[in-house]
Amino acid sequence: MIRWTKPVKFVFLLPAVFWVLAFTVFPLGYSLYISFHDVDRKVVVTGREKVPVLNEAGEPVLKKSGEPRTKTVVHRELQTNFTWNGFASFIRAFGDEEVGSAVKVTAIFVFTAVTLEIVLGFLLAFLFHRYIFGRAVLRTIMILPIFATPIAVGYLFFTVFYEIGGPLEFMGIPWLSQPDWALVSVIIVDIWQWTPFCFLVFLAALQSIPDDLVECARLDSGSAWDLWRIVVIPMMQPVIIIVLLLRLAEAVKLFDIIATLTKGGPGIATQSYSYLAFTRGFKLNDFGYASAMAYLLLIVVMIVVTLFFRRLRQTYA
Amino acid sequence: MKALRAGLISAGVALAALTAANAEAQDGHVTWHDDGSVDLIMEDGAVIKTSQEELGSLFGPGEKPFEGTTITVLTLDSGPRGGISGPIFSFRPIWEELSGGKLEIALTPITDLYAKMMLDLRQGTGLYDGIIVGAFFYGDLVAGDYMLPIEEFMESGEHPQWTYDSMPDSLKTLHTWGDTGYGVLNDADGQVLYYRRDVLNDPEHQAAFKAEKGYDMPVPPKTWQQLLDISQYFDGKNWDANDDEPDSGTVLHLKVGEQGHYHFQSLSASFAMTPGEAVTQYHNVYWFDPTNMTPLIDSPGHVAALEFLQELHKTGPEAQVGWSLGEAWDYFLRGKSVFVFSWGDVGSLCQDESRSKIKGICGSALMPSSDKYWDHENGAWVETDDPQPVGNTTGGSWHGVISAFSENPDAAYSFLSLMAIKPSSNWGAYHGWTGVDPGYYYQFLEPLGEAKIEDYVAAGWHADDVAEYTQAYYDNFTAPTILTYLRIEGAPEYWDIMDKNLSAAMSDQKTAAEALSDTAATWEEITDRLGRDKILKQYQEAIGYGG
Repeated sequence: MIRWTKPVKFVFLLPAVFWVLAFTVFPLGYSLYISFHDVDRKVVVTGREKVPVLNEAGEPVLKKSGEPRTKTVVHRELQTNFTWNGFASFIRAFGDEEVGSAVKVTAIFVFTAVTLEIVLGFLLAFLFHRYIFGRAVLRTIMILPIFATPIAVGYLFFTVFYEIGGPLEFMGIPWLSQPDWALVSVIIVDIWQWTPFCFLVFLAALQSIPDDLVECARLDSGSAWDLWRIVVIPMMQPVIIIVLLLRLAEAVKLFDIIATLTKGGPGIATQSYSYLAFTRGFKLNDFGYASAMAYLLLIVVMIVVTLFFRRLRQTYA
Repeated sequence: MKALRAGLISAGVALAALTAANAEAQDGHVTWHDDGSVDLIMEDGAVIKTSQEELGSLFGPGEKPFEGTTITVLTLDSGPRGGISGPIFSFRPIWEELSGGKLEIALTPITDLYAKMMLDLRQGTGLYDGIIVGAFFYGDLVAGDYMLPIEEFMESGEHPQWTYDSMPDSLKTLHTWGDTGYGVLNDADGQVLYYRRDVLNDPEHQAAFKAEKGYDMPVPPKTWQQLLDISQYFDGKNWDANDDEPDSGTVLHLKVGEQGHYHFQSLSASFAMTPGEAVTQYHNVYWFDPTNMTPLIDSPGHVAALEFLQELHKTGPEAQVGWSLGEAWDYFLRGKSVFVFSWGDVGSLCQDESRSKIKGICGSALMPSSDKYWDHENGAWVETDDPQPVGNTTGGSWHGVISAFSENPDAAYSFLSLMAIKPSSNWGAYHGWTGVDPGYYYQFLEPLGEAKIEDYVAAGWHADDVAEYTQAYYDNFTAPTILTYLRIEGAPEYWDIMDKNLSAAMSDQKTAAEALSDTAATWEEITDRLGRDKILKQYQEAIGYGG
């Protein structure tokens, strides 16, 4: 049996440590840093020099005119100026009308979409927990949307919600051109994609409840409601909390569907918080502000997650 | 046996020759003729005729002046057969054969182009030798000294030959800063009015319009108010025989985050600009007061224009609030609306019968003007019976510039200038899918320019559509008053918030006054954040304000 000495153990840990430092800690730290600074970082050209192009033999390559062909060597200098701006970016976010609207849009989306996904997922799981004809096939079909790329789903539903000539035209609903309906459209797409996930996890949880426990409860209590209230729901509570947590964490990051379906419009009616932060950072190069926005979101999500985990611990306790 | 071997050898030689000939036919994109003419053969078989002289002294039979050199050009991504990026794919094999160099094409969605370009330039990585930019990027590019002047390349005689003299001043301005040239000719953006010539000239509709509105229907309309009347008259009627559904008046592309705000720019210019001889504090200004950067976007002229656009929107399909260019254009091309005002692509797409049902009946005209405009100096409306045309260079006029970090600027220029020579430019302008729109003197018909109707007809155009189309663009780019172009640092950010507020107004979330007032307030914040004095100086330079 090999007995690893302490230093060797640490050597094996190094790749993981490097990975965490490079791809988690550093980006977090750097984005926190720039959220407190005005960043003026640019490279300037300090000189350009023409040098002859050489062939494999090291001789200058000549043009038709006999002059040597040249290439340009660019001399550059990094100019970095980080100016401490304190909480200016964070304060700016609190006064930004767009941020306020994005928070509202995100909150409506998260509350509506996640609630409906969990309710529908639970109902579907209950349905599939019993025997129905073609259950295996239907179950497979049911979970297909999970595997679709959100960007592709966005484009798919762009054609579905197309108001003139689209398959839902007969309904006469202004799916993408009226602000409220546009948000409903985004919610529908998310429900379509993520209800199957809730369904799948709930179904697994239902099927893991021991049959003898259910039978005992059935004998002790005559009502189906009591069976659900006393046995099924409590047994599933940890799973429900985990699903809720996962969906909340995912839903507050709503981006892909907006990017492909509505671009945040009409106006800013469907502009989610993440989409706004993205456009500020990557479309308008306002990285300090975008970082501050991202941290504000992180704080809110951490508070919510902490509350949920506390509840989870209490449940297990 | 000997005969068999000889036969086999002959067959082998013949096969080898045939294979070589096939290879030449497949790879050959350039044919040099003894009389000095040169054929550039596109991948679809189209031939662009040029000459050795026009191609510059570096290129020639057997010459490979950039052998071993690889350049990268960054462009918006519309695919290999899409607008702006498509021609780059088309010219790549030709340039590679002429130069011996290799061209990499870096594609990015139009919405990410600015950020991707700025990231490369600010980091100085020099990933891209050439960048296809919109003219509204110039504020940032000039401020950072990120572009190379191109006069040296142009004057060397080594590269494909083109000149700024072929551009009307309104377009030349967009490719230069002060007296320095940076941009290589490619696309000429400006919006004109497209209308259904057959429908508007129909005597029955003419009579019914007069009975309803009380005056003769002007074809084409000269004022926006006339256009609205005509649009309202036709909206909801089934005036087109292509289907049994009711048709529309004017179709617009209004999707937020796309190019809807350009509609407002083009339309509002004649409401909101006070014409004058020169650029002053009050005359020929549209965006800001050039003395202090106070936004003008919420002036009564701008507000009235947006209210007008809201009215005009009611004569089109409701869904257009969520429509990009393609959907709106297709609606017009399928014969579903009387009017659309948009870029040159529409005129050439009218000729593409795979998309268009209106070839030969696709009228074009200079954009209407408002019969009243806001006088910034006196703070009052001026009503006029003879509204003056206001041209525009609305859009990106997407064209190539050379990155200051390029290690092969001459090769990058060589490629961009190959697309800028007259026959290449004409090829782009004649074909709608290229996204390269006309605007250069040689594309206007004689005697205003050098082109002939036959040139367009040979490229598949209907002769009836050509004269109006080229005249409309000539009138637009040479109009006495031109909508000033926003070329300041942060222009995409200024436009971003304007776009969102305009979209909110068009979807009834805000009134016109609220939308523009909110825009102005945010613009003040942006200007303060970026540095008012710096931005003011850029703005003054960009619009030619002398104080």
